[in-house]
Amino acid sequence: MSQQPQPHGLEPLDAVEATSLPIHPRSVRAGLRLNLRGRSVHLRGLKRNPTGILRWLVILGPGLIATSAGNDAGGIATYSSAGAKYGYDLIWVMLIITISLAIVQEMCSRLGAATGRGLLDLIRERFGIGWALFGVSVVLIANGGLVVSEFVGIGAAMELIGISKYIAIPVAALALWSLVIFGSYGYVEKIFLLMTLVFFAYPVAAIMAHPHWGDVARGAFIPKIKLDSAYILIFVGLMGTTITPYMQLFQQSSIVERGAARRHYGTERVDAYVGSIFSNLMSIFMIIATAATLHVMGKTEIGSAADAALALAPVVGSSAKLLFGIGLLGASMLAGAVLPLATSYAISEAFGVPKGVNLDFRRARVFFTLFTALIIIGAGLALIPNLPVIQLLVIIQVLNGVLLPIILVFILLLINDQRLTGELKNTRLYNILGWGTFAMITTAVVVMLGGQLLDALGLHLFG
Amino acid sequence: MVMLSKLRRFRLVDDAGRHARLADLAVALLDGDYPPVTHLFFFSQAKKQFMRLPWEAVKSFNAHASRILVADLDAAEEVSLDALDHDVLLHHDILDALVLDLQNRRSTRANDLQLEEEDGKLLLRAADTSFQAILRRLTRGRYSRVATRTLYDWKYVEFLRGDPQAVRNGAGYHLRITRLPPGEIATLTNPLPYLHAAELITLLPDEKAADTLEAMSPERQLQVFEELDEEQAVKLLALMAPDGAADLIGRLQTKTMKRYLELLPKKQGERIIELLRYPEDTVGGIMTNDVVCVPVSLTVAETREQLRELLKEPDFVFLIYLVDDLKTRRLRGLISLRNVVTAQDDEKLEDLMDPYVTTLGALEPARDAAYRVINSHLAGMPVVGNEGQLLGVLCVDAAIVQVAPANWTAIAPRIFS
Repeated sequence: MSQQPQPHGLEPLDAVEATSLPIHPRSVRAGLRLNLRGRSVHLRGLKRNPTGILRWLVILGPGLIATSAGNDAGGIATYSSAGAKYGYDLIWVMLIITISLAIVQEMCSRLGAATGRGLLDLIRERFGIGWALFGVSVVLIANGGLVVSEFVGIGAAMELIGISKYIAIPVAALALWSLVIFGSYGYVEKIFLLMTLVFFAYPVAAIMAHPHWGDVARGAFIPKIKLDSAYILIFVGLMGTTITPYMQLFQQSSIVERGAARRHYGTERVDAYVGSIFSNLMSIFMIIATAATLHVMGKTEIGSAADAALALAPVVGSSAKLLFGIGLLGASMLAGAVLPLATSYAISEAFGVPKGVNLDFRRARVFFTLFTALIIIGAGLALIPNLPVIQLLVIIQVLNGVLLPIILVFILLLINDQRLTGELKNTRLYNILGWGTFAMITTAVVVMLGGQLLDALGLHLFG
Repeated sequence: MVMLSKLRRFRLVDDAGRHARLADLAVALLDGDYPPVTHLFFFSQAKKQFMRLPWEAVKSFNAHASRILVADLDAAEEVSLDALDHDVLLHHDILDALVLDLQNRRSTRANDLQLEEEDGKLLLRAADTSFQAILRRLTRGRYSRVATRTLYDWKYVEFLRGDPQAVRNGAGYHLRITRLPPGEIATLTNPLPYLHAAELITLLPDEKAADTLEAMSPERQLQVFEELDEEQAVKLLALMAPDGAADLIGRLQTKTMKRYLELLPKKQGERIIELLRYPEDTVGGIMTNDVVCVPVSLTVAETREQLRELLKEPDFVFLIYLVDDLKTRRLRGLISLRNVVTAQDDEKLEDLMDPYVTTLGALEPARDAAYRVINSHLAGMPVVGNEGQLLGVLCVDAAIVQVAPANWTAIAPRIFS
């Protein structure tokens, strides 16, 4: 009889035995014991902060995923080209860029946490409408180029799998557009992320290709500067693809969105550092893998995605193409959705117009128009027949490299504005490293542009 | 009528024929609906120093000739922008800043400002938020159309500085926003940076601030709350419903939480501690314990007398719970507020009450209980302890929050995390 439920609500309360304990008491979380108002109370409603490895996973999870997915179509093309053409020679650049990237990404998270606002938003308010429009154009050009490169990546990936890009790109564009607009993107995002895990094959490939580790070390620690226009071009491309202006916008907005506050800034710093180091480690492995397979075989020019896929051959042999295709598709789809979204988001913010996919078209006209236009134009340009795929991707990264110093100046000026950042202002070391990065990239860009200009005038500076 | 974009091309001319270009204007935001210009700013001949002239020095204002006649430009005093922290400058501070357009219930940017001369004063009349305003500024006046449709009356525009400290320093605000219901204010602050939201909470009257804070999303709540100073934070916690306050305080750092719990008024502090004892995923974790209960032995007239006091604070007032006595709080039945109001004075609660009450246990799983509350179509279900004592009520709104998808207010993908 005692197992019978009490007739609650059927008899007067008096007649019902008041037993509210569940028949099978569940194990109750430990909670916290605190001394409050002179007595000890056990608060089970409180969450104890995760400790040990769990704590680090919570902090690092999002950053790690985001940055490893940041190795998108353009990145893969640039790293592969660098590895194929110059072997291990450019690894030292990657080491320097890693420090720069960590610094820049951290400054952006700090700016986001200190102000709770996006980069273009801050530019508008601190420097006025003129500079804001300038910033908007820079972002539009840099990100617009990247959107094209993502669709080029989608096309190339699908062709590896055996589907014509003239079918694949329009379908992908329509799919991405509707997934984001109709709000089911969140679910699909995870599938794309899973697909990019394929790129973990690169470190394995790099090791299995038995590179000459002595050469790798030499390439990593002995800077080698070649005054050759292709070398400088790849140099700028590497910077542009690693420290992409888009990543700064994204980093800052994601910190804002996550609700970081200036009072507790700290863990975000670790996230930025580890994310940067991790993603660059992957990039370095891409370079090593390509150098150890293609470069040593004497294949120094990468003309298509199929060529780049050969770097994975030591691991998976003949299925390299398929595997590479899957990874490239995942990375490109991921970036293909997020890039136009983040761009329209940042620009709407600068103009103070409503933004966000959860609004309808009438209320967020600017936002939706921008988003749609970016996808249509990106996919449209990627459909042009006979595109030199890999070269185009590299050129777009170079363009990003050229625009990067502009964004960097804004970031450095803003982060040093005491009224905005208060206690989170840049320290001297940060300023040295930050402005150092700026100087390095600007020099490379100027040398590159100068070389191109002189070439055009018939003077060959770089032989 | 003159737009700030045009005004910034005006020349200041004095009796001696000296002239300078107007650079900025300061307004007194506290003075009425349309703040008057108090000072003019310009760069001195050397183009180095930032100079300030009081509005009283203006002799005539000629909008057609784009000229302002002043007595003596040399009488201006030199100021530095950093020292002007307390002044609000139209170009430097308000233009391009985030403003709240209360008429449309949205946050936007002031792309241009409209001023009007009235009785020898220059008043800030409206904010222009259109793209045309941007075009006017970029073309330096070559494009000069002003569409009145996009001019928003300054009376209904709230300018926020993005600095909660500003309120405490006595900066000026319209405070028209305080007339809106708390939920609408919370929605209005959603797209704002958290410092702006914190500033807004700081300037609202405490009651409204507490309700607005409750209506915000949990992450935003925490961000805003941590920007408040201790005194206000405690005040708001005391005014919030105990369940909302417990959720918020439970997410603070342990040290801060302990401190606030000590500082809170005894009654509210105890209520919050009581709620924090239950794990989040149990009925106890989502119920409220600020309920109206009276002894079952009272008559209707006596009850009404008591209710006058008891109904002041709680949010959940529709059902009145009847207990043996206020000490043991053993639940006997319930009666609706409507019945108490409509019944005869001398009737006894015992005869009127509904004794067939479905109750919940404090440690039951929250989700199951939430479905029971929602399916029962009741405003709330009482939660009782082992001895049948009333612990609190699981209200239908808390139940809905429990079963609704976590991101139901934004079906959007979380693009930035």
